[in-house]
Amino acid sequence: METDWSRRVRAAFPDSTPPDDDVVEELAQHAAALYAALRVDGCPPEAAERRVEELLERWRQDAGGLRRPARPATVTPPPMQPRRWLAGAAHDLRYAFRLLWRHPRHAVLTIALLAVGIGATTALFSIVYGVLLRPLPWPDADRLVVVTETRGGSPARFGRMSNAAYRAWRDRPATIDALAAWSTRLATVGGAGAPERVRIAAATSSLFDLLGARPILGSPFGERDETSPVVVLSEGLWRDRYAADPAIVGKGVLLEGRPHTVVAVLPERLMFPDRTIRAIVPLAVPPASANGLSMVDAVARLRPGSTPAQAAGEASARGRLAVDGGMAAMAIFGRRGPVDVTAEPLVDAVTADVRDPLLALLLAVGLLMLGATASAAGLQLTRMAGRARELAIRSALGAQSARVTRQVGAESLLVALIGSGAGLGLARLLDRAIPTLLPADFPRATDVHVDLAVLGVASAIAVGVSVVCAVLPAWRLRRLDIAAVLADDGAAPVALGWASRAARARATILTLQTAVACVLLVAASLLGRSFVAQLGADRGFDARDVLSARLAMPAAQYPDAARRFAMVDQVLTRLDATPGVTEAAFTSEMPLTPGGSTASLSFRSPQGEPVTAQASPRIVSPRYFAALRVRTLAGRTFSALDTDASPRVAVVNETFARRYLGSSPLGARIPLAAYAPPDRQPLEATVVGVVADARYIGRDALSQPELYYCHCQFDAGLPVQTVTLLARIDGALDAVAPAVAAAARDADPQLVADVVMPLEQRLLATSLARPRLYAVVLGVMASVALTIAGVGVFGLVSFWVSWRSRELAIRVTLGASRAAIVGLVLAQGVGVTVAGVAVGMAAASGAARLAGTQLYGVTTYDPATFIGVPIVLLSIAVTASLLPAWRAATRDPLRTLRGA
Amino acid sequence: MGAADLARELKRGSTELLILALLEEAPRHGYELAQLIETRSCGDISFHAASLYPTLYRMEGKGLIDGRWVEKAGQRRRRYYRLTKAGVAMLASQRSIWDTFVVALDRVARIRHA
Repeated sequence: METDWSRRVRAAFPDSTPPDDDVVEELAQHAAALYAALRVDGCPPEAAERRVEELLERWRQDAGGLRRPARPATVTPPPMQPRRWLAGAAHDLRYAFRLLWRHPRHAVLTIALLAVGIGATTALFSIVYGVLLRPLPWPDADRLVVVTETRGGSPARFGRMSNAAYRAWRDRPATIDALAAWSTRLATVGGAGAPERVRIAAATSSLFDLLGARPILGSPFGERDETSPVVVLSEGLWRDRYAADPAIVGKGVLLEGRPHTVVAVLPERLMFPDRTIRAIVPLAVPPASANGLSMVDAVARLRPGSTPAQAAGEASARGRLAVDGGMAAMAIFGRRGPVDVTAEPLVDAVTADVRDPLLALLLAVGLLMLGATASAAGLQLTRMAGRARELAIRSALGAQSARVTRQVGAESLLVALIGSGAGLGLARLLDRAIPTLLPADFPRATDVHVDLAVLGVASAIAVGVSVVCAVLPAWRLRRLDIAAVLADDGAAPVALGWASRAARARATILTLQTAVACVLLVAASLLGRSFVAQLGADRGFDARDVLSARLAMPAAQYPDAARRFAMVDQVLTRLDATPGVTEAAFTSEMPLTPGGSTASLSFRSPQGEPVTAQASPRIVSPRYFAALRVRTLAGRTFSALDTDASPRVAVVNETFARRYLGSSPLGARIPLAAYAPPDRQPLEATVVGVVADARYIGRDALSQPELYYCHCQFDAGLPVQTVTLLARIDGALDAVAPAVAAAARDADPQLVADVVMPLEQRLLATSLARPRLYAVVLGVMASVALTIAGVGVFGLVSFWVSWRSRELAIRVTLGASRAAIVGLVLAQGVGVTVAGVAVGMAAASGAARLAGTQLYGVTTYDPATFIGVPIVLLSIAVTASLLPAWRAATRDPLRTLRGA
Repeated sequence: MGAADLARELKRGSTELLILALLEEAPRHGYELAQLIETRSCGDISFHAASLYPTLYRMEGKGLIDGRWVEKAGQRRRRYYRLTKAGVAMLASQRSIWDTFVVALDRVARIRHA
């Protein structure tokens, strides 16, 4: 039987110092070879056995020397070569995906934060870009300027330039290539199909050359056609109403009741002043006369090399040489004085009143984005802190620092890219919603959409944010102290929770986030409360439960004032008979519509002094005051007894009475304003009542002098062509609206009432639309900022709890109550929030001062806002801290201390 | 110093030289080295196998020799040792020292003897 030499060699050594297997094998071979050699030499087995035993005994004595020295590893990891840098990228990404899949909580939060931040930023940037930055659609549009005339520094009540200055400049321009006049209005398009109301422009023939607008079909009208019934259709109207008839040029269409010959079709995007215009008809600017002015809007194209200031200088000089306009100038400009003309780029003029709010919103959304990025990077940092041990082990096993950094970078980048992608998707969704959110009169609303330029900027933001989110944790990891982490001494020393640089950095970031949320909340609250105050403000009338509809009876269609009177009378009768309608009336001027007509009146005051009054006259039906619940302050309003047979009467508002009639307004005699037929002797009316002002609610909160005349006292005629129907409704407005529309249609099938809508909504669509928009946008941003701050507090406190888990466990072991632990953790979240609120309130009070001009009915330092916002933020902080606090308090301290 | 001590010191100092010299000819395994030392010195250098392996391991630790398991067809694997570059250099320097030493001893001993 063969001897097991390995076993015998091993047995020869003491158990305490067994030799390596390697050595045992070598010695066993030696022993076997020796035994075999001895036997071959003729040695008997016993003797050979003895000789080997002697050898084994000597080896045993020298056991210490029988150790193979440990040698350094001869295999070194291959150096990372630049061209092979991406070699493991696929592996990194796979690993990152698996990690995300297994621990999705942080990743989902991060992705949601980034998506909301990038989505909101992109959406708002698309508005800012579309409105303020996107080039206008016409060639060389940067040379287009809008010109505005003032007299003695006072702007016109309506229109921008007088016909006198316009013609003087147009005839001899030096600094400009062309000058065009225009105005817009609503008009009824009739003919085949149901009549519809559309927005049209009237413009001089020079407009088309000035814009460089080339038609799809035909050619635009020339100067000779300026008094002819011709029309340029927009592509949209041409397609919708005329089925894109290729032979439309030369055909007639019915516009405002008169046939017009189509001369051209213009692409929709080239329509002026914007693409909502459906047709352009000729406008002839009348020659200047000594006692009349007519106002137009004017646009000019600068000669290459000319500046707006040079053009304005030339226009002022030529305007001063033109006729003055006399009393008409006084009526329109409010004072007499030298002509001054200013010129500003078209895009600035169109967007002037939304520029500041938009830039403020952009700043706000930028802050929001910053907060979201910081929060996302913070969450990534927390995640990395939780994985410090794993990463340290990988480093200790020989993973190069660059390699680990890249792995961490890949993980963060993956999360950031998914978040960015979601954000861009969200932006596309918002893109569809934006047009419906913008008020109807918001300039360039139709130019707002997410296109390549917006996407480019958004993508750049997304990439930047992703890189920040990826680089921060990786950069921090470079300084990971492997020994400390592996020795499990990485936890914070007791009571030194903020001693680490990472913890302090995170606390600073969160403080700033809270401050941002604070500013946005304050702004949203102030604007929101201001908006509510405007809604509920005393306007001098009650717009609730009133339906309104605008009714146009163009002179071309209804040339006869008596016919118009009969129409309105008929409509009112039908309305009165409509179930649900408690009061029906009409007015020639909408209350609270800026830019209404004004008239200049000369009369003697009750005290006998000559007075020249500027006032806005209007013709109303007797029940107007009842329908709108306008308060009567003195005397009476109109009644059915005021007819052509009775003496003419007038009602004035409070401002008119105070300014022009002094202490005894009743009985004063005032002229019949602009409504008197030109061929008659000046007529007078007696003031029989004073009513409350209709207040323009807003920044200026002004009331203008107003005069009311009874519609029954104009010789059975109606001197105006457009009226607004008002119907006070008892019950649901929606149910009665169709009946109101029907009342107009029944009176005359060609009579089209504009969309019937609640008066409140009509006011909202005009004077209150922007305050509402800004309040809503800021409100949405504030809630997002609040969420981000909440997530930030949650992340920070969670980080703090895991960082100090051993200390908390020791406290629990030593007898700290749950309440004490919860309190300790809550104090962290609340402490940081208090710091953020302090910074935020300081910044917010500065911002509130700037926003003061936008506010109505709310003081800049509104107590409710400045007390409520900190309370809201602190409640959020407490809520966000509760979950980690409760976890910390209920976790088994022994498990923590064992490191389980 | 007694005679036995001198013999041990001499032996220890010379063992490395002997191993280096034998490995210079060819890579060899431990048993072979022990046999060769015994047969070539005709038993005059009684080199016990017990001290061979600690010496080999020490020399391997110093990087003078390199031991590797080698498998040959039909045999068990054996650990073969061969000279490293450092071993070659060490062999040359030891040879020169020993040459000088032996010559000097010879000269001195003969002078005394005479």
